[in-house]
Amino acid sequence: MPLLTDLARLTQAERGDLPTSPARSQGRRRWRRALGVVVPLLLLGAWAMISGLGWISPGLLPAPWTVTEAGRDFFFGERRTTLAGVVAFDGAGWGHVGASIFRCLVSFALAVVVGISVGLALGLSRWVADLFDPVINALRAVPLYAWLPISLIWFGIGEGAARALIFIGALWPVLIATADSVSRVPRGYIETARMLGTPRHRLWRRVYVPSALPEIVTGLRLSLTLAWMCVIVGELTGTSTGVGAMMNAARETGRIDEIVVGMFVFAVVGYLADLVLRGLTRRWVSWADT
Amino acid sequence: MSTLRAVQISKAFGAVAVLDRIDLTVQPGETYALLGPSGCGKSTLLRVMAGFEPADEGRVELAGRVVTRPSPERGMVAQAGTLFPWLPLRDNLAFGPREAGRSDVDEVVAELLQATGLADFADALPRQLSGGMQQRAAIAQVLANGPPVLLLDEPFGALDAQTRLRMHEWLRSVLAARETTTLLVTHDVDEALLLADRLGLLSARPARVVEEIPVPFGGARGRHTLSDPAFVRMKAQILDRVLVA
Repeated sequence: MPLLTDLARLTQAERGDLPTSPARSQGRRRWRRALGVVVPLLLLGAWAMISGLGWISPGLLPAPWTVTEAGRDFFFGERRTTLAGVVAFDGAGWGHVGASIFRCLVSFALAVVVGISVGLALGLSRWVADLFDPVINALRAVPLYAWLPISLIWFGIGEGAARALIFIGALWPVLIATADSVSRVPRGYIETARMLGTPRHRLWRRVYVPSALPEIVTGLRLSLTLAWMCVIVGELTGTSTGVGAMMNAARETGRIDEIVVGMFVFAVVGYLADLVLRGLTRRWVSWADT
Repeated sequence: MSTLRAVQISKAFGAVAVLDRIDLTVQPGETYALLGPSGCGKSTLLRVMAGFEPADEGRVELAGRVVTRPSPERGMVAQAGTLFPWLPLRDNLAFGPREAGRSDVDEVVAELLQATGLADFADALPRQLSGGMQQRAAIAQVLANGPPVLLLDEPFGALDAQTRLRMHEWLRSVLAARETTTLLVTHDVDEALLLADRLGLLSARPARVVEEIPVPFGGARGRHTLSDPAFVRMKAQILDRVLVA
């Protein structure tokens, strides 16, 4: 039978209905991203002005230049020998940051493995969800600080308790995001895959995980942010390394400039970690971009 | 080529009876269109035929065998499309052949890209395609498995009138070339008359097949058919019957 519709002309006509070109969208995105530096610069300017005019006591908030000096000493100062158990500051920045990042990543990785595995089980099986949902929802309502005493008893003062607390903090977002997104995969995708020959035991890999991936990645980003936030709680348990340990020591000696340096380090590293994770996962979730 | 049969199929959702002892037979290579009032159960019948919903009573037979589960031998395309949004078009078309472990996946995909006029869009994601392209791709995705039976649930219902007409012309030629046994559900009389060899009229819910009508326009049908006086007359008669069903 002759083809009445000229496919080449049809496709040409349909090009007019295609969504906006990616190049234009990317250009807009770059411009919007550049806007993101405006507010931090304004805040920095306001802080410098307040400090310079003496409107706030340096004992409450040191000037930006004082914090910059402390930051320089933290990362590039001369390293001094300290007594065992005393948290070093000058020249110890990279060591502290490295220790905090390592502690965070180990616990985050474990939380991701456990969170995605348990989340998949909850999302894929109504039975498993009915069995474990109440326990999981009750446990995740327990504040992180409430886990502190029992972590110290179970894992001892220091590294073990710190890692346990970071793990607990990081676990819930990725677990809940995985369970929730997998349970809400549209039925149409499952039916299509079944119709196209996918056996039931392969559905999780071929449909559930790819379909749920954008939300799982959002869960991962939240988990990483929370893991990083929980580092300071973990490092209050008596570790001698880490940015949190340094800040705790600075609090005891009244060095507010060092505390602010620690806050900046947390903010910058947390922001960069999120950027890296977003970059690493962009390829998996770009299909869901609007 | 395979005969598709619905034998005494009944289906209810709770207290609401949707299908009432439906009998119909789609001959090998035939395109059979089901027309009926909105909400009469057309889509439910198609979902039962596809194996997505179990029938309360009755059975679906393909080439004399009772079939109950979804299978690549009964490909179904719905109005909302069935493409996986995370896969580029090429991988969407390759999905079925890969599941079947076929060695000629690339050849199958290349042929379908040509047949749909989408060769330039092989690496595009579904969201980057227009509505007409997406529906052609969804049909091609199902055809990639070479199913003897195609089930179409208002596949062009979301498209504008011009694109829909082009899709009808394209699909008619594709179905004829492949001699696929096709069951089409639609509320669009033009669509039914342009694509089908035979029509089945369904009653209001619970649906029963109240009349079967052969469509006399053979061969190539398209935009020229719409102005054929016989087509216009038949369309008016069928609309009358659907509206009083």
